[in-house]
Amino acid sequence: MTSADPSTPTPSPLPDGPVPSPRSAVPSAASIVRARRRASLIRFWRQYRTHRAGLFGLAGLALVALTALAAPLLVGGDVQSVTRAPGKALEAPSGQFLLGTDQFGRPLLGLLIWGARISLTVGLLAAALSVAIGTLVGVMAGHFGGWPATVTMRITDWFLVMPTLVLAIVLATVMSRSVWTVIVAIGVTSWPTTARLVRAQTIAVESRPYIERARALGGGHGHIMTRHVLPNVMPLVLAQTTLGISSAILTEATLAFLGLGDPTIVSWGGMLQDAREAGAVSSGHWWYLAPPGLAIAFVALAFTLCGRAIETVLNPKLAVPR
Amino acid sequence: MVHSLPPRTPRPQPVRRRPRLRLLLASGAASAALVAGTVLPVQPLLPAPQQARAADDGKKVLTVAVSQSVDSLSPFLAQRLVSTTLHRLTYEYLTNYDPKDAHAVPGFATAWQPSASKLTWTFTIRDDSKWSDGVQATAEDAAWTFNKMMTDENAATANGSFTANFKKVTAPDPETLVIELKKPQATMTALDVPIVPKHIWEKVGDFSTFNNDKQFPIVGNGPFIVTDYKVDQYVRLKPNKDFWRGAPKFDELVLKYYKDGDAAVAALQKGEVSFTSGLTPAQAAALKSADNIKVNDAPGRRFYALVTNPGARSKDGATFGNGHPALLDPAVRKALFQAVDRKAIVDRVFQGHAVEGQGYIPPRFGAYFWQPSESQRIAYDPAAAARTLDAAGYRKTGGGKRVGKDGRPLDFRILCHATDPNDKAIGKYLQEWWGRLGIGLKVECLDNVSDPWLAGDYDLAFDGWSVNPDPDYVLSIHTCDALPATPKDTGATDNFICDKEYDGLYAQQAVEYDTAKRAELVKRMESRLYDTGYMNVMAYPNAVEAYRTDQIKSITTMPEAAGNLWGQDGYWSWWSAVPAGDGGGSGGSSSSAGVVIGIGAAVVAAAALGLFVAMRRRSTAEDRE
Repeated sequence: MTSADPSTPTPSPLPDGPVPSPRSAVPSAASIVRARRRASLIRFWRQYRTHRAGLFGLAGLALVALTALAAPLLVGGDVQSVTRAPGKALEAPSGQFLLGTDQFGRPLLGLLIWGARISLTVGLLAAALSVAIGTLVGVMAGHFGGWPATVTMRITDWFLVMPTLVLAIVLATVMSRSVWTVIVAIGVTSWPTTARLVRAQTIAVESRPYIERARALGGGHGHIMTRHVLPNVMPLVLAQTTLGISSAILTEATLAFLGLGDPTIVSWGGMLQDAREAGAVSSGHWWYLAPPGLAIAFVALAFTLCGRAIETVLNPKLAVPR
Repeated sequence: MVHSLPPRTPRPQPVRRRPRLRLLLASGAASAALVAGTVLPVQPLLPAPQQARAADDGKKVLTVAVSQSVDSLSPFLAQRLVSTTLHRLTYEYLTNYDPKDAHAVPGFATAWQPSASKLTWTFTIRDDSKWSDGVQATAEDAAWTFNKMMTDENAATANGSFTANFKKVTAPDPETLVIELKKPQATMTALDVPIVPKHIWEKVGDFSTFNNDKQFPIVGNGPFIVTDYKVDQYVRLKPNKDFWRGAPKFDELVLKYYKDGDAAVAALQKGEVSFTSGLTPAQAAALKSADNIKVNDAPGRRFYALVTNPGARSKDGATFGNGHPALLDPAVRKALFQAVDRKAIVDRVFQGHAVEGQGYIPPRFGAYFWQPSESQRIAYDPAAAARTLDAAGYRKTGGGKRVGKDGRPLDFRILCHATDPNDKAIGKYLQEWWGRLGIGLKVECLDNVSDPWLAGDYDLAFDGWSVNPDPDYVLSIHTCDALPATPKDTGATDNFICDKEYDGLYAQQAVEYDTAKRAELVKRMESRLYDTGYMNVMAYPNAVEAYRTDQIKSITTMPEAAGNLWGQDGYWSWWSAVPAGDGGGSGGSSSSAGVVIGIGAAVVAAAALGLFVAMRRRSTAEDRE
């Protein structure tokens, strides 16, 4: 699909040539690296800034992340308590309960804010797991080649053609119900795309002369994979993670909606499932259904916008000519 | 959603799991993730099609929405409520229950008489009942049915408990059936055994695999005849014009499958179905204000209880399972039940559509209903619960956790049915109530609770049974006799309870023909069961159902005063249903809510469009390259 190539030689921020005096400001290797990273980060941000959609996504994410982190302060940990629920069952939105109440009399606004924590946590961890598996498989397959690569890639293909949702449902059904089950179910079913991308990038990187040089200097498999290949596939992995989060959040919501999540934990998909079980759909309690649905759509959109922007910055070939 | 508990099943929890995968896949495809919450609500917005009952040829069709899958159409195997209901409609039983007070009334038999020794019963069989293929139904059919169940173990799967005590069954003439018993049996006028036509069934080879669903119409002599059946799609029945009590008024009865409760309610609102059951409080409230729909909120025939694992064991003396040992201490169980606010469960979870739990048998069966006396009642009192635990030596540690003398913390698991919203909801309350006592609770919601249950791998569980007018069966599942033979076997036991005193009373009531004396014994059994403290009835949930008054003019509930329609002990509701005149309004309800939901859907669609555009931009960039 895409092949980001961030390994273009970075102009060193320091002047070339002999160092004037051994005593004064000898830039250590570490400081050079630090300065170079800072510079590339600034450059990255400058380019990212030009993508308006990406900024929108970032602002939305910041808002949701802040809300999720501040949830205990905003609504208090008591919001999940059914025995201390302040309202009556399924109250319509009012001054006291801005989004109404659920079937236990708990305020839906509080649950929505609280649910952001689980949805974000599961999204981030599942995407991280998926990308970690994908990167490991991809780098190994790309580096070693031969029959082990063929075998792993056939396995990858097999996972690629399996419908992710069906596989995740099966996994969530056979394992006990918990947040970790959902994370694992999403993680182990959505890695093949990453694996394919990373493998292609690994092969491209390994064909470069400096890898051959490193090998000639005695660099082993581990050295080449971790010191040369991995840093070069990292940007791709980063973009892939950002995009993966939104699909992980959607899958989490779907699984919870289908009743496969942990019923004791408040999440957005779980709220939709609770609403369905309470009969909110046929009895017209729209205020129970719409907010979690919109929240899911909003966060997924925000992550997608960010992911696309990052991808475009890292891979100039994707940039729209302006 | 999960409402229809079969009246009798040998499983610990009679909520049989229907195959969910198909539903999951279907809804998974439909929900397409982000629109999950907004796809379903669109359904009621679709233009309402013409009412199903006003079929082209003017046939009056009564459509009933059901969700439970049929386990078998063979009366020798069927145990689920939907299947036994179908058998009530299609076969005659020796006796039936009166819709008013459930006393025995003539069914296939017109009269019955026990001998002075109480060991021989003579039934007079009616001469005006014909099988639907024209053959006269006689006592010979009944004798053959019972003899088959007594001699073929596979034919005794579903109802073998009724014939286990039979010594000999004969039909001296077509109108006389004689049953000889080994010892007296109190359930002789409540034999829930469908009588099948001998000339059809004697050709059947293996009763364990024959499901009676290949040849239609199925020969029977009840008020309806099954004409067609498709697994999890529909069951069609036509009225038996020659039925001795009179033919049903509708031209067709259809059981139509809706695996989603909300979809069934939407179909009712549109007039696609005439009846649906198992409503949630919110659905019942919404339907109450709808035109042409009557909500029937009747005292249920079911109890809903909390049970503790009393140490799973089998008849050979072996113990198995991994129940928490602290639950063997009566003080711990008492404290747990003391901390359960049953009134809050009725008010908040059932929202008034239930009655607070007392004894084992619901108050609807007045003769057998028992309430604990003041001295034995375990009332809601969290402070007393804490005192009970303190006194028994379960002290709170620094972290607020209770630990036993062996140092093991009181952390329990509770088995919950993933498809039952009430289990999940009450689980949340229990976690908080018990959490304040310093007791941890893990709610384990499973699609299939039978496996850990039968293996004894649980601490607590949610339990519920439908009770028949004759309580023999629900009482029998707590006797030592019901325990599995070995840990590998499956017993009829509900919860591995085995108590000598209870068993003695059970044996006494089983042979007691005097109803008043038997009721007294049954109440003593309930009292004993309450005192053993292994189970605590939290509530008797109501049967919450709704039907369209523009399709059904009148229908008989059971009990007649305030009773249910689905899952009756008899065929009264569907047999008695009278079709409404041809007016028939279409369902146009909840449109305002629909519009608002529609707007929500539009917003989500707009968001999706945004995504799509973003992706398009990217792909065009690629193309341009």
